[in-house]
Amino acid sequence: MRHVNAEKLMEYRDGQLTEESKAMIDSHLSHCGDCSKMRQELQEFLIWLESDSTFEPPADVLQWGMNLFQPLLQPTASVDGKVRKIVASLVFDTFDEPALAGVRRVGAPPRQLLFRAGDVDVDVKIESVESNERISLVGQVLSTSEKFFDNTPVKLESHGMVRYKTMTNFVGEFVFDEVPKDTYHLSVDLPEGQITLFCVHRGNS
Amino acid sequence: MSGENYKGFGDPELVGLCLKGDSRAWEALILRYRRLIYSIPVKFNFPTADASDVFQAVCLKLIEHLHELKDESKVSAWLITTTTRQCIHVRAQRMRESSQEDDFEEPADVGVNVEDIQIRTQEQQNIRNAVDKLPDRCRRLLELLYFETTNPTYEQIGKTMNMPVASIGPTRARCLDKLRTVFRQKGIQ
Repeated sequence: MRHVNAEKLMEYRDGQLTEESKAMIDSHLSHCGDCSKMRQELQEFLIWLESDSTFEPPADVLQWGMNLFQPLLQPTASVDGKVRKIVASLVFDTFDEPALAGVRRVGAPPRQLLFRAGDVDVDVKIESVESNERISLVGQVLSTSEKFFDNTPVKLESHGMVRYKTMTNFVGEFVFDEVPKDTYHLSVDLPEGQITLFCVHRGNS
Repeated sequence: MSGENYKGFGDPELVGLCLKGDSRAWEALILRYRRLIYSIPVKFNFPTADASDVFQAVCLKLIEHLHELKDESKVSAWLITTTTRQCIHVRAQRMRESSQEDDFEEPADVGVNVEDIQIRTQEQQNIRNAVDKLPDRCRRLLELLYFETTNPTYEQIGKTMNMPVASIGPTRARCLDKLRTVFRQKGIQ
C-alpha cells in the first residue's frame, strides 16, 4: 500500500472509512513510521486547535492599542524644517515599583514618571482627583547641564489633537491642573527638538 | 484594518518598521499579539476592566521597549513575560487594596499556575502564527472551524467560504497538512 495522505488520515480519525479501508490503513500504520508520525502530528494540531482558549480584547481596547503609535514618530511638520521629534524613554515609573512593605494604600497614590531623552530629563507626577474624575499633572524639564528650560512650551495631546498648552516657569516647572482623565502624549518643545512622552492615565492606578 | 497587510512580515521586520515610524507595522504587531496579551489576564481570572488595563499597560511597555526588541525574534516570549509580571503586579495591588492586615506581604501564591499559563499561551500563539502563514482560503477555513466564537455549522461555513459542505472535510485535511509544513519550516516541531 502507498503512503496514506492527510485526507485519508482525517477520515480514518473521524471514523468515516469502511472496515476494509480502515484495516488497510491500520496495517500500513503499523509498519510505516512516516505515516504514523504524520497521523500523530495531525492529531496534535487538532487538539491544539480544538482547545484554543485565547481571548479577544474588547474592540475599543484593541483600537486604543493600535492607535497608540499614531501620534508618535510621525514626521513633525515645521515651518523652518528644523524641528526634530525626540522620543523619550521611560526610565522610572512608580506603577512598576512594588509598594513598601507594611504600607496600606488609601486612595490612588500619585504616579511618578521620569523620562529621558539625551541629556534632558522630564520628571512628571500624575495625581488622580477622585472627586471629579480628573487628573493633575505636574512636571519639570531638567538638563544635566546647569541651564533651566524656562519659558518652554509644553503641550498635552490626546486623540491626535493638542488639548492643553502651558509654559515652563523659570526653573522649568509646568502644571496642568485638573484635566479630564484620558490618555495623553506630553510634548516639550525644546530648541534641540520636540520631546514626546507617553503619559497615560491608568484607570486603576 | 490596515495592519492586516503586514501579516506576512516577521517580528524583527515589524519592529524595525515601527522604529522607522511605520504606524501600520505597529498595528500589525498589536493585531498579531492581541490575543496573547489579553488572554493572560483573563486566565488570571481578572475582570474585563483589569484585563483591559493590563492590555493597555503592556502595549505601552512594548512601545517603550521597542528599541530593545529590534534584533529580537522572540517578541512573543518578551510579551508573555511582561504581561505575566503585569498581572502579578495587578493581583498584588488588588490584594493589597482589599487587605485588612496591617502587615501585608507580597503574595507568594497568585492563585493560578503561572508557568502553565505561559506555556499554553506560547503554544497557542505558535498555532495562530502558523495559521496566519497559510494561504488565505486555508486560514479562513481553520479560523471558522476552530477560532470562531459563534461555532458556525458546516452549512454556514460552506456558505461563507462559497464551498460545498462535502468539500469542507477534505479541504480541512489538506489545510492541516499545510499547517504541518509551516511548523516544520519554522522549526517548531
